[in-house]
Amino acid sequence: MDIKIYENEKIKEKLFFKELDSGLKVYFMPKEGYTKQYAIFSTNYGSIDNIFTPIREDETIEVPEGIAHFLEHKLFEEPEENIFDKFSKLGANVNAYTNFTQTAYLFSSTENFYENLELLVQFVQHPYFTDENVEKEKGIIAQEINMYKDNPNWRVFFNCLRAMYTEHPVRIDIAGTVESIQDINKELLYKCYDTFYNPNNMVLFIAGDLSFDEILKIVEKTERKDYTKIEEVNRVFKEEPKGVKESFIEENMMTSTPLFYIGFKDEDVNLPGEERVKKDLVTNFILDMIFGSSSVFYNELYEEGIIDSSFGAYFTGKKSYGHSLVGGESKKPKEVYNRVMDLFEKDPQSILIEDDFNRIKRKNIGGFLMAFNSVESIANNFMDLYFEEVLLIDYLEILESIEYKDLIERFNKHFVKENVVLSIVNPLS
Amino acid sequence: MPLKSERIQIDNGIYLNLIYTDKFKSNLLSYYFLRPLSKDEVTKNALLPLVLKRGTEEYDTNLKIQKKLEETYGANLSISVNKRGERQVLRFTVEAINGNYVGDKKNIYEVINLLQSIIHNPTLEKGYFRKDYVEQEKENLKNRIEGRINDKRSYALDRCIEEMCKNEKFSIYPLGKVEDLQSIDEDILYNHYSDVISTSPIEIFYIGEYDDELIEYIKNIGKTERKDVLTIPREQIISGVQTKNMISEDLDVTQGKLVLGFRTGIPYEDRLYNGLIVASDILGSGPNSKLFRNVREKESLAYYITSTIYKYKSIMLIDGGIEFQNFEKTLDIVNEQLDEMKKGNFTEEDIEISKKSIKSSTESIRDSAFLISEYFFSQILSNDNRSLEEILKDIDTVTKEEIIDAISQVALDTIYFMKNSKVE
Repeated sequence: MDIKIYENEKIKEKLFFKELDSGLKVYFMPKEGYTKQYAIFSTNYGSIDNIFTPIREDETIEVPEGIAHFLEHKLFEEPEENIFDKFSKLGANVNAYTNFTQTAYLFSSTENFYENLELLVQFVQHPYFTDENVEKEKGIIAQEINMYKDNPNWRVFFNCLRAMYTEHPVRIDIAGTVESIQDINKELLYKCYDTFYNPNNMVLFIAGDLSFDEILKIVEKTERKDYTKIEEVNRVFKEEPKGVKESFIEENMMTSTPLFYIGFKDEDVNLPGEERVKKDLVTNFILDMIFGSSSVFYNELYEEGIIDSSFGAYFTGKKSYGHSLVGGESKKPKEVYNRVMDLFEKDPQSILIEDDFNRIKRKNIGGFLMAFNSVESIANNFMDLYFEEVLLIDYLEILESIEYKDLIERFNKHFVKENVVLSIVNPLS
Repeated sequence: MPLKSERIQIDNGIYLNLIYTDKFKSNLLSYYFLRPLSKDEVTKNALLPLVLKRGTEEYDTNLKIQKKLEETYGANLSISVNKRGERQVLRFTVEAINGNYVGDKKNIYEVINLLQSIIHNPTLEKGYFRKDYVEQEKENLKNRIEGRINDKRSYALDRCIEEMCKNEKFSIYPLGKVEDLQSIDEDILYNHYSDVISTSPIEIFYIGEYDDELIEYIKNIGKTERKDVLTIPREQIISGVQTKNMISEDLDVTQGKLVLGFRTGIPYEDRLYNGLIVASDILGSGPNSKLFRNVREKESLAYYITSTIYKYKSIMLIDGGIEFQNFEKTLDIVNEQLDEMKKGNFTEEDIEISKKSIKSSTESIRDSAFLISEYFFSQILSNDNRSLEEILKDIDTVTKEEIIDAISQVALDTIYFMKNSKVE
């Protein structure tokens, strides 16, 4: 068998890989002595993939908001017995999530791993949609959407994205709206399924005290063989204009103190995999150095009582979009905004100190290694990086390669005035 | 490999619990301080860790502490205040990379020193806490208490408990009350701190790789001068329905939150408690449960609906997020499913599935240093000497009769409903 083994002496972990004839990629990280086993089956399909050419068709279509998430819910449906029940009987915990770029199905178990794995591969590869079961799901998902509507953190976050982007579908709520999901029907679901759940567009990752040979036997035996192999799905993204749509957005709702996000839209997009991951790290280094809990900025504002420990910043970037978000709770969000903007007026050399850089790098190395303690965080980190075309086992090398000068360059490019948004959620008066 | 803890008394009311494992890439040290959950001291206790983490004698600002944590390869410092039954628990934890991975064996000592000094050597001004730190953290605590409303689900659960147990200590919110803050200043808080350090039962946990030298070190720095150590009484378990409340709160929300509070009257020491755990799981935990199937899958009324047992207080709460007009309908289904349980209308398969799920999450404790410390701490709190293997076995031997017996003792006490009258 054509198995590839990646080893990293520093991390003291191994990664096994095999690509099956169907195009499905299978990765496995052994975790000896672990009680828990974890498997995650993921497709390169998320809420932003809403305009595409369906398989065996020529024209692109635009699908209702929230359909990738709806599809995730519906894959749990089977003609006879519910999938949840089958996993429960085998003692496993099954779950799924949809984000902007992926849909993932996962389970954790402490026994019957191989039977559970068989079930996972089987149910994800066998959709069963009927008019009736699609209708029934609308009520459940409507309640899920309503639950998020009452969550001020979620609202301030999506408002920020909506203000930042004009066309890019990252501005759309992952679950869609109570209205948009009414347009979903079984035909559309099959169309999305057939296009994006092709083995060549999917990856299976497993971690635990297990045998890779046994894993491969199960997957090869179980996987569907009747797929037409496709190279790549044709996804269309409307051209995103430069600058932000609106520079300020606010809303009032049931919350105790105002919540805010200051967003910086990234224009340096469509980079190849490794460069993208490096850009991600460099930007997060900058944010950590100037806004993190060991920064002068954080400590000054904290002592003045303008921010509290909820304050933080991070960058998130995918192939077609990216943004830095600085936010938290504050009684004076506009004051925080002004102070942040003042900071970006300064000479980067004066706020990005080389000593801080070295310390933040150490912290990141420690944090990265510690994430190998849990099968869940291994799997989640693996998936996020995998879709960025980088293997988890190679990440430390990229992290170590970052130099101080990379930060200065990126600082000047990313933090520009034209690309800033302030989003505030105020308490009801 | 079975989980083993060695418990060493290092001082009056101070114990060090050691769990050796080389499975993780990090080591974890946790200090738990136990206090009675009481109106008099709850707010002071909640404020204390916030002030302590602001500065030590050596690192007198948050900035310096944070820098130190980063230098030690991003050691994680976490502090929490919560309640376990009618005890308020203050927890101080550090988790740091095992020095072998970064070629720095002394790293762990640095991290232990830092945690130790946060607890024992705070930065002081004229013999008390710094006034500015206390004032800032009072404001932060106030915001956190008021911020309860931001998470509607946990707010609804808390509110149900408050109403249901209003004549019991269990109703006290573990972060305290905004009204108390005004009367607290740096000397009052410092005097209280001295009391906490000298009278609280303290449990220290170390999980990871260690040698004799390290243990001696932790033992020595863990010692403090102790006077009388508090004995915190076990919670009162009330079996009869106390208040029979229907509380409805009108807020500007999109989704209604329904919480049903039940008395079970079955203490954790009772053999029947295992039956109760299984019963609650069959009823409303996980996608196989009766509530999930009937409220969510069959009627599409909710995205979540679950049942939870509160161990130390022996109450059971069922909560779900629903549309306002579905209140009656949901309540009917819950009652119906509870009756089914009482009548024994559930299968051997339901029992097996629930046992498996409970055992699996219990076993998974082994894979997390933090959960290992929480588990052994909980065993100490409940005077439970059973090993993890024995606990698993006890779950296994629960019978259908015990499940019916346990669930038959459950009685509805309080209904809490969050709604929005503007939408109706």
